[in-house]
Amino acid sequence: MPHPTDGTLRRLLDEPVGVADVDRTHVAGCPGCLSRLAATQQDAAVAGAALQIETAADVDAGWQRLSHAVTAERTRQAVSAAGSGTRRPARWRMAWRSPIVAAAGVVALLAGAGTAAATNWLQIFHTERIAPVTAPQADLISMPDLSDFGELVVTEPVDVRPVADAAAAAQATGLAVPQVSELPRGVTGEPWYHVSGRASAVFTFSAEQTARTAAAAGETVPPPPPGLDGSQFRLVAGPGFAAFWSQNRPVPALVVARAGAPTAHSSGVPFDMARDYLLSLPILPENVATQLRGFSADGTTLPLFMSTEKLTSSTADVDGVPATVFASRDGTTAGVVWVDDGTVNAVAGSLSSDEVLSVARNLRW
Amino acid sequence: MPKPSAPGAVRPDLEQVFRASYPRVVAVAAKVLGCQNEAEDVAQEVFLAFGRSSVPAGAAAGWLSVAAAHTALNHIRAGRRRADREEAAGVDGLVAPDVADTVVASEDRRRVRVALARLPRRQAVALVLRHSGLSYAEVAAALDLSPGSVGTTIRRAETALREELES
Repeated sequence: MPHPTDGTLRRLLDEPVGVADVDRTHVAGCPGCLSRLAATQQDAAVAGAALQIETAADVDAGWQRLSHAVTAERTRQAVSAAGSGTRRPARWRMAWRSPIVAAAGVVALLAGAGTAAATNWLQIFHTERIAPVTAPQADLISMPDLSDFGELVVTEPVDVRPVADAAAAAQATGLAVPQVSELPRGVTGEPWYHVSGRASAVFTFSAEQTARTAAAAGETVPPPPPGLDGSQFRLVAGPGFAAFWSQNRPVPALVVARAGAPTAHSSGVPFDMARDYLLSLPILPENVATQLRGFSADGTTLPLFMSTEKLTSSTADVDGVPATVFASRDGTTAGVVWVDDGTVNAVAGSLSSDEVLSVARNLRW
Repeated sequence: MPKPSAPGAVRPDLEQVFRASYPRVVAVAAKVLGCQNEAEDVAQEVFLAFGRSSVPAGAAAGWLSVAAAHTALNHIRAGRRRADREEAAGVDGLVAPDVADTVVASEDRRRVRVALARLPRRQAVALVLRHSGLSYAEVAAALDLSPGSVGTTIRRAETALREELES
């Protein structure tokens, strides 16, 4: 009687009834085969342990995601077929953009008109570009926030909520939602969209609060220029959206985000007066204040604070617009940020600098 | 792979098949990838391909399981760089007391992924399907093997996996 094969012994572990009686009888009385069976069992146990993982799939969420992906795929096919038929992709691009551009224009007009009607706010800051301000992490953590200089009242809170797809994100924000032409290697599937409406806050400068903050830091501050104490600043940003690929991970594989660039309005005090006074205070880390002083005086550069221990920054361009590229020193994440026509755009993820730049430069509008 | 009848057409039974098979497809991919989130990405890809196909409904379960294993194995190579970054980032950001366990677990998962990627493809798929609960007959049908050779294929895969993990 020949000894059963390795395959037969393996099946004996899982499906003994699938093994012929004669083989089972043989193994039971053959020390050599029992020894082989024990080794087989051991390897099977190692494999079982190595492959052990508990999963709890959410079928409804999965189906919703697949439905969106199927719809998106159909849309792409339709656009691709129509575009190749007419051979005029520029026209399609216009067709995609125009309703969204129109919607954005209406939103901007209404928001602007509403603001102007309600108060006599003077716009003193609008973001035209972003520039990195680098400092050791300890300095950034010790940076004061606005509530150290007065009272900050949130008038429109940041309200992030998920939406179904790109069209819903465009509708909710009035922003054009670009498509990613080619996903980086290892990034797959359809993104999940989150949107937020416009967020705003009113800051009232207080000389007394500023003096208290300074005193707590062991410093004294010069008196504010006339008119600054009690003056109000209105800060506005958004609306915006973010598309996440592979959510629920420590770092999303890829994020593409856009938002209305931050603006600041004053109830009368000129931007440079408020800025120069705040930068003169001995509360800000000197290296941060020096970098901020270097920004243009017309109130168009938004600082992007970066820790020198964790991030490196460089400059690049995205379709001719200056962009700031940042990358974590451990190589785990990178991002690129740029401002175009009053909108802050960002592409980031667990990718390299080259990959985020490639995604940014190849967004389809 | 069977082709769809018309470009862009999506089979009408997609939702029904999805709801019946999604947990299994995620589970198969997760065994390869060691990560449910990534397995869900793979499952989306698999069902998109299935939606475009004309695989008979009766053969769907086996087709989906094999496709999940193959697609997940393909992802190991494509996603290794990114996964390494994510793991590094995730560990860096964790402050939980079980951080050491997390590091060990993620290192184990990484080794299993690497080991699976080095196995002959058919062995790796057979191994994953069997450990996902498919019977020998189902594995044989899914991989077009004779039922007698399924045990041999799985036995070789387990030996090779153990050797890879020990190396």
